[in-house]
Amino acid sequence: MTEAQITEKVIALVTPYVKNRAALANVTRDTTFLADLGINSARLVDIVLAFEDEFGIEVSDDAADSIATVGDAVDLIGKLVP
Amino acid sequence: MSDAGLRLRSRLALRIQRLLSYAGLIVSGPVLLAIYHLRFRYSAHGLREVRARYRALRAAHPGPLLICSNHLTLVDSIIQAIVLGSLWTYLRHPAALPWNLPEAKNYYHSWSWRLTCYLGRCIPVERGASRERATFAQARMNYVLERGDAIAIFPEGKRSRDGRVDDRDFSYGVGQLLNQVPGAGVLCIYLRGMRFGGFADFPPAGERFYLQLEMLAPQSASHGLRRARDLSAQVIARIRKMEADYFAARDAGTLAMPGPP
Repeated sequence: MTEAQITEKVIALVTPYVKNRAALANVTRDTTFLADLGINSARLVDIVLAFEDEFGIEVSDDAADSIATVGDAVDLIGKLVP
Repeated sequence: MSDAGLRLRSRLALRIQRLLSYAGLIVSGPVLLAIYHLRFRYSAHGLREVRARYRALRAAHPGPLLICSNHLTLVDSIIQAIVLGSLWTYLRHPAALPWNLPEAKNYYHSWSWRLTCYLGRCIPVERGASRERATFAQARMNYVLERGDAIAIFPEGKRSRDGRVDDRDFSYGVGQLLNQVPGAGVLCIYLRGMRFGGFADFPPAGERFYLQLEMLAPQSASHGLRRARDLSAQVIARIRKMEADYFAARDAGTLAMPGPP
């Protein structure tokens, strides 16, 4: 799976939880889930679990804690996808 | 994450805070009770039964305990503590008086509030905190739990703006604590003003409080974040059911509602 494909899926999975819809239109690798997209921290857990289901991966608690930006998520998923 | 990463200095600081809050209770306890009874003329429905039940539950579950409540006002923690136990009970059984987890942004803006929170046995938490700060706060919580204390936590992670338990958009903090301290008991509490009720900064004077408490043993075959979500959802579901029971009893007339204050 290419980075672009992963990014596209990540954005699709995140979209229902985004409060700042304007930021969604200009997402980059550096876009942060909490500050930029306005996602609350509890929903970030839901998003990580959605990544697990969508990509068939298992994200450890420590790895989940390290996800702050879209780029972090894409890189982590890229490493974990079979 | 356990309390293993907590430095000796931090562990010592928590033990000193616990000791000072206990000593301070001799002064702050009567002051809070005077404010509760005289300034606001608050009272509680079935007070003796509630306190007896809490004493019995605490005796049956003497170890770490998470007290999980719905959240409607800024002073829920104080009212809950006053309703659950007498000053004498807390002086005799310090572990019965729970630690609290206030949002730092709301309560740590002045030294007077900081002192109040310190003596009120609080561990500040920050929404959206950095990983290091969140880990530190979590380690402090784990430490006090593993020493057999109780922590009062609001599983919704916020106050219920519409006055009802939010079972859709809630925090997973309870589940994360249970992942860290699996032996912790879970005491679910439903607290609500019977005369006015609902969302408010402070309950109006003359309010009479209803408090129901039930132990819960949440289970999940999953692990990690998924387990935290499962456990948190079960706690929220129980508190929501307790809320439904309250309104059903009120509507059926089986719960004697107070008259005007």
